Amino acid sequence: MTDKVIYAMYDDDDVTKEACQSLVDNGVHVADVFSPFPIHGIDPIIGIKHTRLGIAAFMYGITGLLLAIIATRYFMVSDWHGINIGGKPNFSYLENIPSFVPILFEFTVLCAAHGMALTYFLRNKTLPGMPARNPDPRTTDDRFVVEVRLAENSNFSLDQLNDMIKETGIVEIDEKTIK
Amino acid sequence: MEFQISNKAKKVTIGLMGVGLLLLIVGFFFQKEYMFPTVLSDHEVYVEYWGDQVEKEADVKKEAEEAMAALGYELDFGDEGEEHEVHGHNAAEEHGDAHSEEAHAHQAPTFEWHIHIKHLEVEGEHVAHSVGHGHDAAPSETLAHMFSNGDIAMSDSHFRRFWSNLLVNGFFFFGIALGALFYLSLHYATESGWGVVLLRIMEAIMSALPLGMIVLAIVFIGATLGLNHIYPWMDSDVVAHDDLIWGKVAYLNKPFFWIRIICYFGVFAYFMNWFRKTSRKQDSEDVEKATASHFLMYRRGALFLVFFAVFSSTMSWDIIMSIDTHWFSTLFGWYSFSGIWLSAMIMIMMVTLYLKHKGNLEFVNSAHIHDVGKWMFALSFLWSYLWFSQFMLIWYSNIPEEVIYFVTRIESYKFIFFAMFVVNFVLPMIFLMSADTKKSWPYLIFIGLVIFIGHWFDVFCMVMPGTLYEEWNFGLLEIGMFMTFLGTFIFLVLRSLGKSSLVQNNHPFLEESKHHHG
Repeated sequence: MTDKVIYAMYDDDDVTKEACQSLVDNGVHVADVFSPFPIHGIDPIIGIKHTRLGIAAFMYGITGLLLAIIATRYFMVSDWHGINIGGKPNFSYLENIPSFVPILFEFTVLCAAHGMALTYFLRNKTLPGMPARNPDPRTTDDRFVVEVRLAENSNFSLDQLNDMIKETGIVEIDEKTIK
Repeated sequence: MEFQISNKAKKVTIGLMGVGLLLLIVGFFFQKEYMFPTVLSDHEVYVEYWGDQVEKEADVKKEAEEAMAALGYELDFGDEGEEHEVHGHNAAEEHGDAHSEEAHAHQAPTFEWHIHIKHLEVEGEHVAHSVGHGHDAAPSETLAHMFSNGDIAMSDSHFRRFWSNLLVNGFFFFGIALGALFYLSLHYATESGWGVVLLRIMEAIMSALPLGMIVLAIVFIGATLGLNHIYPWMDSDVVAHDDLIWGKVAYLNKPFFWIRIICYFGVFAYFMNWFRKTSRKQDSEDVEKATASHFLMYRRGALFLVFFAVFSSTMSWDIIMSIDTHWFSTLFGWYSFSGIWLSAMIMIMMVTLYLKHKGNLEFVNSAHIHDVGKWMFALSFLWSYLWFSQFMLIWYSNIPEEVIYFVTRIESYKFIFFAMFVVNFVLPMIFLMSADTKKSWPYLIFIGLVIFIGHWFDVFCMVMPGTLYEEWNFGLLEIGMFMTFLGTFIFLVLRSLGKSSLVQNNHPFLEESKHHHG
């Protein structure tokens, strides 16, 4: 199934946001916006769901904490039982827990941060080496592109969409057929 | 966008002050000076008293006798000569000490008892049997317990609990106002836009600064004149006999202390007044002048941060850390500052929610509340991080003069000390982690109030172990004084809110703040 896609290019984030607002107000569904930096407040306008990355980060953090607890307990209490560091022999995990808190904290953060970064890249298909998915390389520089798909806007003809978009302060407009 | 303190709010805050004052006055007369028992055997207790109220010895003896008679025991307070032999003291020296001016000179107790406990013989054996619980513990343990938890004690002639509470509440509420001033200047110095609609609330909170300053000044004057012994280094007798304090005399001496305090209070009061005055003036200026005023406040904000960076640390050394004069911690300034900042953030949140509830803040939306909620969450972590860093490093290095700080707290304040930490750390972590709870009023109010009280206990644990040692108590005096301060503080804040528009109409970033979104 082939589909027509319109790429409208802007040179200012506020103009992009206003354009999206006016398109959405006219009943157009905006598929996506490509931008070199996050545009605050655009998510609710084009109807992007709230990210679940935070929940994932929490899970990674808990995993890291558990791993660190198991590891420190094994290394410092079970395996090398009673090793005396600074006059505080490790006979009991609970009594020595203050000395393990830094590593528990660090490992929690390490797992949460790395897990979150990898998930983010994976979910966006932007892992190193993956093909770029933005329609125009300039969206990584100083341009903003709004993507509108014909199939998602069956109420409008291609010309109607083009006319509406042209009224929004674009600097370029491009049309592509994708499969 | 005008606000006037409602009659209901007036009644509530003044009622809080009144009831608090009443409890405070009742509690004032229940301050105690403890005697310290050592259990020698099942029927022997050694009790020592270090205070200077020698004349009350007989009264307390009677009290102890009556308490033990009710349990079926009779007390024999070993006679003086025998007692001195037992403890190897020179009788003459002891006698001299007790009656000299320097009864608190830390060499020997003012008096000491060597108590022998016997079964009451008057009615025969059945007296002891009829009082069943006398047999659960050894009688000496029971008696020692009465001394160590203050059931049998002198009334405190120095009112140490009153003075210490004055310091706790003075510092806590001074800190809240100061935290608001700090956050306001941070907001200006960083040219933030989001919180412009909240700036008047911060101004109102910081305008209650004089309350804390006056109370702290009273405590310092009392300490300087010798009315209280909160700061051991102010007592020249103590300093003369103490090498560690002697080494700190260059910094910890009365004149320099007062110079510093006047510097802090002067600078804080000056900036507080200046920010309030300038922002009110800005309300009626044209665009050009208002923008110039804004940039002036931007520069003054940065200037205040420079002062605050130094003063917040040295201030906490002077006011709080020097109570435990032997002890020092390089982290202490940051630790107390994080508590100050967090308490101020909670206060900002509560006042915002109150005004929003009254319908006075049309421009404050859920994104602003979410952001203040984020601050509460983040600062709870900052505080926990610093609390633990201080604890862990001192615990690990185990240097006597450092670790004594935590030994006192863990021995005599164990529950409050750890419960306070767990509440202030775990509660915000669990309940404020999700974005939804940071926007939810019930969550914010509940968690906010609990950790607000939690941080009051944090200050309590900073001060009390150094001033009251194990003789602390939590009762009417503490609750009453906290209520009085809270009522006064909120009254001052609400009254100050009514003195100007709630929105800074000419702030250059007002539009940005109105359209703030999460």
